[in-house]
Amino acid sequence: MQEIAQLLINGVVSGTILAVPAIGLTAIYAVLRFPNFSIASHATVGAFAGYIANATLALPAPAAVLVGFGAAGLVGVASDQLALRPLRPSGALTSAIASVALMIALENLLRFGFGNDLRGFDLPIMRDWRLGGLRVGPQQLENLGMAIVSMAALFLFLSFTRTGKAMRAVADNPALADVKGIDPEQMARLASFIGMGLAGAGGVLLGLDTSIDPLTGFRAILSIFAAAVVGGLGSIPGAVVGALTVGIAEELSLIAIAPAYRTAVGFGAILIVLTVRPRGLLGERAY
Amino acid sequence: MGLLSVEGLIAGYSAADEILKGVSLTVEVGEIVAILGPNGAGKSTLLKAVAGLVKPKRGSVSFAGERIDGRAPREVSALGLAFVPQEQNVFPRLSVLENLEIGGYADPAAARRRIPTLLQRFPMLAEKRRQAARTLSGGQRQVLAMAMALMVEPQLLLLDEPSAGLSPIAAERLFETIQAINADGVAIVMVEQNALEALAIARRSYILVDGRNSRSGPSAELGADPEVRRLFLGG
Repeated sequence: MQEIAQLLINGVVSGTILAVPAIGLTAIYAVLRFPNFSIASHATVGAFAGYIANATLALPAPAAVLVGFGAAGLVGVASDQLALRPLRPSGALTSAIASVALMIALENLLRFGFGNDLRGFDLPIMRDWRLGGLRVGPQQLENLGMAIVSMAALFLFLSFTRTGKAMRAVADNPALADVKGIDPEQMARLASFIGMGLAGAGGVLLGLDTSIDPLTGFRAILSIFAAAVVGGLGSIPGAVVGALTVGIAEELSLIAIAPAYRTAVGFGAILIVLTVRPRGLLGERAY
Repeated sequence: MGLLSVEGLIAGYSAADEILKGVSLTVEVGEIVAILGPNGAGKSTLLKAVAGLVKPKRGSVSFAGERIDGRAPREVSALGLAFVPQEQNVFPRLSVLENLEIGGYADPAAARRRIPTLLQRFPMLAEKRRQAARTLSGGQRQVLAMAMALMVEPQLLLLDEPSAGLSPIAAERLFETIQAINADGVAIVMVEQNALEALAIARRSYILVDGRNSRSGPSAELGADPEVRRLFLGG
């Protein structure tokens, strides 16, 4: 029983962190209408930018998350403009395939620059808190807090700012948004910045939890994609619900299967949702 | 030269097809003009071409003395020509209030001033302002779509089959709303399947057949013409 409670706690924390890049993927899908798999490498770009901020410039973890957001967001806009935008007229499938190529290219650029070594963030060593027989790490809680703050900031932006509402309008009905004076290209750039920025922030959070290398994002992409699909691709609350579902399911799977097979949970979740409820848990609500 | 002037417009949805095969039309300041005709005549395509959603291949569209053919929809809208599509004319997941805000996206300061006036004018929208647009009935959605178009204080409103899918009572109310909007000086071009109602409120009408002008003139004259009645009004 205690083991299950511990796994549930771990699942909620990892699910909440997973929600950050999953929201990024789903936000880009909502506006640009294709799954941008290069989100994996953008998470890694963010993780390395955050690592430089933390380990080289000695900035604290929240600042590293902000740096990761900004760096991945900027790389996201640049790579989208250079590599993916020219292919948009060819359709969603072409864009999705091109995004896989972009993911591999970015991953290898990072490999050239930083090598393949594992790198750890420079964090103070702290003892886990114990409550009954359950253990929670202070860094784990800080990561949870930062993930929640990132999501709250996005929610406030989409709910209360003119640009945020315009972005939702484009996700809802792009042709009408154009008639009403919203520039679709500007919104596409903004969606890329925010979506890839969130992936970068997620990359830093993943790195703070473990360590980073050029495959940090790639290892998480299946879980990120599963979270977005389970919740309903294009739905932001769906991405949160999906991430928590996948995060908790991955942790609970450890009771029955070896950790090496944990990623199978993501596959299983995608398979079940696409068979039983293809639009996802909250697929109708983009926001 | 009127408020809107369309001359010899040729347009379609792909390089190969021509839905409009040379349509001409004028609209004067403050009048209601109905566009009638059988299905596939190109009525909706004509409105989309004027609004900038379909790029004309040949011909010209001028609005308030300025050439607008080939311009982006948002540029056309900024000049004071608002288009209300037949379907998908609101943002379903946004609230009524947010829909109005997006309607006035181009000029936020003017939008803030305009929203209270429109909510006063359409009490139903005021009552449902916090609800998502997808929860509105068909008639209520059409009213919201028109109110969104009015956010830019247009000189000309293009309505694509506003009464389609509405109950007779809801359609009746909608035509009253259209007349009230027109009474404020907004010119209206309306594509309608409900030809009798459209002829009743439009000053002039055009009949399109197979992408070309067939008949045009004062609505009263067209409505009384036996051939028009036989072909388009069911008797």
